[in-house]
This record gives sequence, structure tokens and C-alpha cells, in this order.
Amino acid sequence: MTRLVRAELLKLRTTRTARALLALAAVGTAALVAAVLLLAGQPGQPALGPDALRQLVLVPAQPLTLAALVLGVLGMAGELRHGTATSTFLVTPRRGRVVAAKLAAAGLTGLAMALVSSAAVLAVGLPWLRAKGVAVAIADPGVAARVAGLAAAVALFAVLGTGLAALLRNQAAALVVGLLWWSQGFERALTGILHQPGLERWLPMGAASALTRPGDAHLPMWAGALVLAAYGLVLALLGGRLVARRDLT
Amino acid sequence: MAAISVQGLSKRFGEVLAVDQLDFEIDQGTVAGFLGPNGAGKTTTLRMLLGLVTPTAGTATIAGRPYRDLPDPARRVGAVLEASGFHPGRSARDHLRVLATAAGIDPGRADVVLELTGLAGAARRRAGGFSLGMRQRLGLAAALLGDPEVLILDEPANGLDPEGVHWLRGLVRGLADEGRTVVVSSHLLAEVAQTVDQVVIIDRGRLVAQSTLAALTAGADRTVRVRTPQPEALRDLLVARGAQVTVDGPGQLVVAGATTEQVGQAAAAGGVVLHEMRFERSNLEDVFLEVTGRKGDRS
Repeated sequence: MTRLVRAELLKLRTTRTARALLALAAVGTAALVAAVLLLAGQPGQPALGPDALRQLVLVPAQPLTLAALVLGVLGMAGELRHGTATSTFLVTPRRGRVVAAKLAAAGLTGLAMALVSSAAVLAVGLPWLRAKGVAVAIADPGVAARVAGLAAAVALFAVLGTGLAALLRNQAAALVVGLLWWSQGFERALTGILHQPGLERWLPMGAASALTRPGDAHLPMWAGALVLAAYGLVLALLGGRLVARRDLT
Repeated sequence: MAAISVQGLSKRFGEVLAVDQLDFEIDQGTVAGFLGPNGAGKTTTLRMLLGLVTPTAGTATIAGRPYRDLPDPARRVGAVLEASGFHPGRSARDHLRVLATAAGIDPGRADVVLELTGLAGAARRRAGGFSLGMRQRLGLAAALLGDPEVLILDEPANGLDPEGVHWLRGLVRGLADEGRTVVVSSHLLAEVAQTVDQVVIIDRGRLVAQSTLAALTAGADRTVRVRTPQPEALRDLLVARGAQVTVDGPGQLVVAGATTEQVGQAAAAGGVVLHEMRFERSNLEDVFLEVTGRKGDRS
């Protein structure tokens, strides 16, 4: 199984997509953080306080989760789109293991994206805040919790993308469905139709908000992570079964 | 022992019965041609053999086991299939390194098989820019990664130029000489006739013939081609002796049902001058069309 995960990670390293997304996570985060810091204190923008670092860590959360979702979809659906699934399944005829390796590789890459992003937050944010005379503690457990929550969310979105693509098979379809869901259109429509606003936090995007926008409206962070992981697991199991059964013609 | 064994194999895709109760065996160490017209079910059969398509009924085994149950399949079986593709952004070498990593094969083998397939010069180029011929070579390189004893090549000559076809023939012969079992599918008998020992011919999903190439062509009609300035006289002489004669161009006769000796005797007896006479084995494609029952409906 380790060699399959290593092969999947090598696949990601040897095309431009994953490298570009990682670079984007670093550069994009740095730019976003710089923009927030520049605008801080202006009319309509919050002033910088001792909890500034906590907020900055989660500034890139939305673009990161989207990027991870796309990464997961491309990694899975790309095999069918480019016809590499044939050689992949010839080497590993037990296809469930391939799907499991892809989930692990996507999750690890998502984790790396989140950590790179958090490193960029610290690299830009810390000196900037110090220069402005804002006292921030790096050892703030609130910051650590948010870094961990973000990492979990981004990794799980990569897993969700992989499972979604395994289920839908078609790359364009998986991207469209993933994007619509990510934009919360589905969940709002669903809770609206059912007149159950309380349901939203149990749905995937609601659960993700527990990690990316922690607060009273959402589940606790750990519960959000568990709920999101459960969705990922269900998608991956359903998708994995389909991938294992379908004829590859 | 049979390297490959197919028993009662069937596949139904909706209304279409693509493969119908197929039985055949391919012996270890032989080069087998897997032949049939386009749409005969060759690719579906090979994909079932390789665990990519699930049979509706029957079994297909390699070395006695279904492909999905083979330990380390990449070290035992190498396959080149038509639809196998490459990520356009990944280099040829990286493509092979990925497969080697997944198979637990030393990634250094990538360079060895690139050399073997004549792709060493293009190793670091992105596969998206490869010609059809280069893709076939890269497919072969992937198949050879695990140094397997069984090779399955689905229409490997497609997309190769004449020089590439010649190279492929040499490669297949070399692999066979090393004692490997090679299955080469083709819709053209002539394409594989120089390479194969054994043929399995299918049509409309069913087995039509399974034999050695020699036995297949032995049963075919043989004819004598004669060039003479007196075609009418010779034709009358031969017809009188029970041969079937057809005129094939000015001064050219094709004689069936007589040996070269008999034609020579008839000509001498009638005082007919011969300019040329040669024994002709009937065209392999005719044999092929005859066994598949498609002679006469060439479209």
C-alpha cells in the first residue's frame, strides 16, 4: 500500500497541477494576508488586535478548500480522461487499493497546501504585526487550533474531490457538481426547501465552516472535522465500489 | 502447460453479445496471433483476460489464475492496449517511473526500457507531444517494465510506419526467442504471419479456428501461375486434363487443381511455349476471409 501511495504522490509531483497549486497556496496566501494587513484599520475594516494571527491564518481558507477539491477531482477523473486508468489498473488490478492510495495522496497534498499557506501567513504576518507594534503570541493555542483545523479542512476537501470524481467518473461533471456544492448553493437550497436551518451545520459545507470559520453558529471544530471526514468516507466508499466494478473498455 | 486459457468466456454489453462462449489456449513460449476482423471481440477478450472488463460468463486465466489474483501482475504480464493513454503533461520517463513505483519495480528500469524501445532520446519530453508511433513505443516500454514472461499486444502495429512495423517484428521475435509467450492481436493476418507460430481466429465473438499457422495455410488452395504466348491452347489442354483455369491478364493463366509438373507435361504434349511458371500459395488474406466466412463480402 505504501508503494501505491508513493506512486500517487509521484503522479502529482510529475505534472504541473499540484506544483502550481502548492505555489499558489504560498504566493496567494502571502498576497491575501498582505492585503488584509494593508487594509486593517481603514473604515469598515477591523483593527488589528492581539487575536490578529488567529484571523490571518483563516484568511486563505476559502480559496484553499476550493483548490484542494479541484486537485482531488483532477487526480481521480484525470485517469479516465487521459486513459491512464488502464495502465494503473494493469499494475494494480485491485482497484479499491488504487482509490485508497489516491485518497491518501490527495489528503497529504491538501495537508501540504494548508501548511505551506500557514507558513506564509506567519512569514508575512509576524514581522508586519511586530513592525506595527501589535503584540501577538506565536504560542497562542488558538492559532495552533486554527492551523490544525485549516489543515484538516483542506485535506478533507481533497478527499471529497477524489471521492466525488470516483463516483461521477466524468471530470467536467465532477468539477461542476463540486463547485456548485462548494459555493453552498446546494446546501442553502436544501435547507430552504426543508425549512430546517439547523440542518445546515450537519451538511458538508456547514461542517467545513466549523473548521474555516469557527464560531457559535457552527459545530465545535472536532465535530466539524468528524462530520466532514464521514462525508468523505461515504463518497470514497461509494465511488471506490463503482470504480472497482465498472468495465474499463 | 497453457500460459493462457480461456474457457466459455462471454461478454454482453447491453444488447450486444461481444464475446460468445469463447474457448482457446495458448501454450507457454509460443507467439500467438489473435486474429479477427474489426469488431470481432478481440479487444474485449483481451481486456477480460487482463481483468479490466468483467466477463458475463466463463473464465480467462494466465498461468492458471485470473489476472486480478496474480501476485505482482506487472512482473508476469505486460500489455499494450489501444486505449491506454498518457497524461499529456508527464514525461515518458516519469510515466514509467510512476508505474514502476506502483509495481515495486526499480525505477531505474524506466531508462532500460526506454533504450529498448528507442525512446531514450525523448525520455524527458512531455508525452502530449508524442506521435502515434512514439505512443505505441511508450506503451511497449511500459509493458516491458516488469520483464514479464507473458506479453499481450493489442494491434501493436497501428500507427507505426513501415520502419516501425519492421522494428516491432524484430522486437517480438527477440522476446519470443527468450522463451516468452507473446499474444499479438491484429485484423490483418499478413501483418503477423511472419512472426507467429499459432493462430486463434475469432469472428462475431466466436472461435473460428485455432491451429498452427502452417496447418491453417496447408489446407488452402494452391495454384500455378503461367505466362505463355499461347494462352488459349494451353487453357484447352489443361481443362481437358481436369484443371480449373482462369485468365488473369494477357498471356497469364492461373491454374488450380494441377501441379507444376502436370502443367509442364501438358504444355510439352501440346507443343505450347512457356515463358514463366510459378507455384503460388493462395493469399493469406483469402485464407483469413475464408475461415471467417467473409470471403466475397469485402467492403
